[in-house]
Amino acid sequence: MNDQTPPSTSLTRQGMDYGETSDVQEVHAAIQREKREPRVGLEPLSIWLIAVYGIAIFTGGAYLGRYSGNFSGDGLDPLGGPPPAKKGGGPQGQQQQAELSPRDRGKKIFAANCQTCHQANGLGVPGQYPPLAGSEFTTGGSKRPAMIVLKGLQGPVTVKGQKFGSAVMQPWDKTLTDQKIADVLTYERSEWGNSASPVTAEQIAGLRKELANHPNSYTEPDVLAVPENDELPGGAPAGAPPPKPGEAAKPGGSPPPPPKS
Amino acid sequence: MTPAADIPLKEPTISAAAGDAEQLERARIDASTRVPVLMFYASAMVWLLIGTLLAGFVSFKLHSPDWFSDVSFLTWGRLRPVHMNVMVYGWASMVAMGTAIWLMARLCRTTLRHPLIIVTGIWFWNIGVVIGVIGILMGYSTGYDWLEFPPYAAVVLFVAYALIISWAVLMFRFRRGDQIYITQWYLLAAFLWFPWLYAAAQAMLFVVPVQGVMQAAVSWWYANNLLFLWFGAIALGTAYYMIPKVIGRPVYSYHLATIGFWTYALFSSWTGMQRLVDGPFPAWMITASIAATILTIIPVATVGLNHHMTMQGYFPVMRYSPTLRFTVFGAMSYTVFSVLGILISLRSTARYLHFTEASIAYSHMGLYAFFTMIMFGSMYYIVPRLVGREWRYATLIKLHFWASAYGVGLMSLMLLVGGLTQGADQNDTSMTFIESVASVLPYVRGRTVAALLLTVSHFIFAFHFGLMLFGLGRTSTVPTFLNPVEAEGSEEHL
Repeated sequence: MNDQTPPSTSLTRQGMDYGETSDVQEVHAAIQREKREPRVGLEPLSIWLIAVYGIAIFTGGAYLGRYSGNFSGDGLDPLGGPPPAKKGGGPQGQQQQAELSPRDRGKKIFAANCQTCHQANGLGVPGQYPPLAGSEFTTGGSKRPAMIVLKGLQGPVTVKGQKFGSAVMQPWDKTLTDQKIADVLTYERSEWGNSASPVTAEQIAGLRKELANHPNSYTEPDVLAVPENDELPGGAPAGAPPPKPGEAAKPGGSPPPPPKS
Repeated sequence: MTPAADIPLKEPTISAAAGDAEQLERARIDASTRVPVLMFYASAMVWLLIGTLLAGFVSFKLHSPDWFSDVSFLTWGRLRPVHMNVMVYGWASMVAMGTAIWLMARLCRTTLRHPLIIVTGIWFWNIGVVIGVIGILMGYSTGYDWLEFPPYAAVVLFVAYALIISWAVLMFRFRRGDQIYITQWYLLAAFLWFPWLYAAAQAMLFVVPVQGVMQAAVSWWYANNLLFLWFGAIALGTAYYMIPKVIGRPVYSYHLATIGFWTYALFSSWTGMQRLVDGPFPAWMITASIAATILTIIPVATVGLNHHMTMQGYFPVMRYSPTLRFTVFGAMSYTVFSVLGILISLRSTARYLHFTEASIAYSHMGLYAFFTMIMFGSMYYIVPRLVGREWRYATLIKLHFWASAYGVGLMSLMLLVGGLTQGADQNDTSMTFIESVASVLPYVRGRTVAALLLTVSHFIFAFHFGLMLFGLGRTSTVPTFLNPVEAEGSEEHL
């Protein structure tokens, strides 16, 4: 900072620098002719302007209120919809699920409960966990898979010509609701190239009552005792399942049993 | 202290002697600001020309992308940030500081102390911009809008800013007269807002980076606030000075000015997130910004009305005075720019417009039609007082004005309409993305035409300014009018 001390030339010299002196008569013409420094008037506020303020504040406030998303830290929906469903789903989570199609809900339930053993690709683990993709149990009538999911399965079982049996499938009737079991079955039966009919919560509820007194996990012979094409009553090709929230959004309604695959 | 020091600023009539003393005082003040302000202007002009050429280049590449695409530092992804940052930090910030320092000295009625420290600061600032530009060209852009300079360039800019603005702020400490004029509010506030904005953005993005998507929020907060609280504030302050000064009439209302200033400060600082509509942010953040943007109609209506009522009956003066013509154009653009800003930030419209050329139109209306035009106006007023010459050619001023006005008008129109088609196409699921890009092509070509107009305008102005700088202006007691003056006494209006 060599310039802490400014050049000691007088202001007059600076002025002369560009052809002027500080003599009043020779102050540059622009400075001579210019108006005085601006002043401020004191006109009062117009009533119309105050009205504009009112409208603006009202509009801004209304907009903020309407799209605030309830001022929630994780609310991405400006209209105040619930935050993304937490695992396990509280009341909010169920509300959120209602907006998804049964198949999408089923996918989430599958990811949370079934994927560990049966894998995301539905192929299971050879020798340990049977596949769901293309499995005769999954893609046949809806009764067999519903029984297995509700009550579980143990002991040796043959799926797609391969033997399994080292692992035990736990019963899900205590853990998952009818709706969730229906959704996950719908998903499993329409994913990975499978194309079997969707399952409704009412069907599962019916089966749950029917099996209420069945205490133990099924074994393969128990399941095979049920005819392969046995459908749960109340759903299936002929009688379309009652419309559920969210499903109505799908174009073309839901009557044809095989959903998009 | 000379006797002149004690002449009160506000006085209904002044005696001839007092008037002389006032003129003498002004001459002394202008002499003290002469070197730094001219240096600001000269640097700003150089950056303006560089930025303009880059703008043409960038605009051209948008419809002819193969042009120089094999040279890494001439690719679109590097040239565009260079163009923006040269305009923001090279041109706009420097011309703003030049005008602000001159206005501050005039209004505080005090000479500028230590102009050489400011000159040092200007060198530092220029060096900082050069370092930043080289950094971007070498590929070290940070990727945040208006903050692309690598952080080490920001350090240089900070040092420069401290050297420059501390003396500008100190002038306020040494002010004389009992009145603080409206312009001083805006300038002083802007002097303090800029370092706050820049430091906060740098700290939250580079020093202690905030997490994930919040970086985008900080980045947009900064860009919008810089536009409003730094450039906008200085432009409004300048307009509050130039309009009443040129027509020689008091500003319409103090009350309007107060409301306009405080609501501007309050609401503008909340804007920015509206650019992130439907992004992964808590909805209230975005909505708060949109609501604040809606509320900016209050300062717009207030300031606009205040300027309009001040000008009432004096609009014909725009025929003669270059300063007034540019300044009023800019002040009117402030209204248009802000109203457009409200319209494109609502959720319903932003969905169509926020990833399109329309947001580019918005930036140009703010930084060019509003800010830059007012700065041109202030340069037409200030430069003759600093070099002691009058502008040489009225024709060049007229060409400059019309090329700039039509240029920025055409650019805004092209980008807005282009943005609408682009947004509609992007939201149309039956169209591929590349089709939505192709649909903007005619508008992008139109923008290149606008860029050419602006290039012509800037080169004309730079030439004219160069003549003034090298003492080749007219020596005359009569200012350069845009049109021959018929009315008696009009020559005062400049």
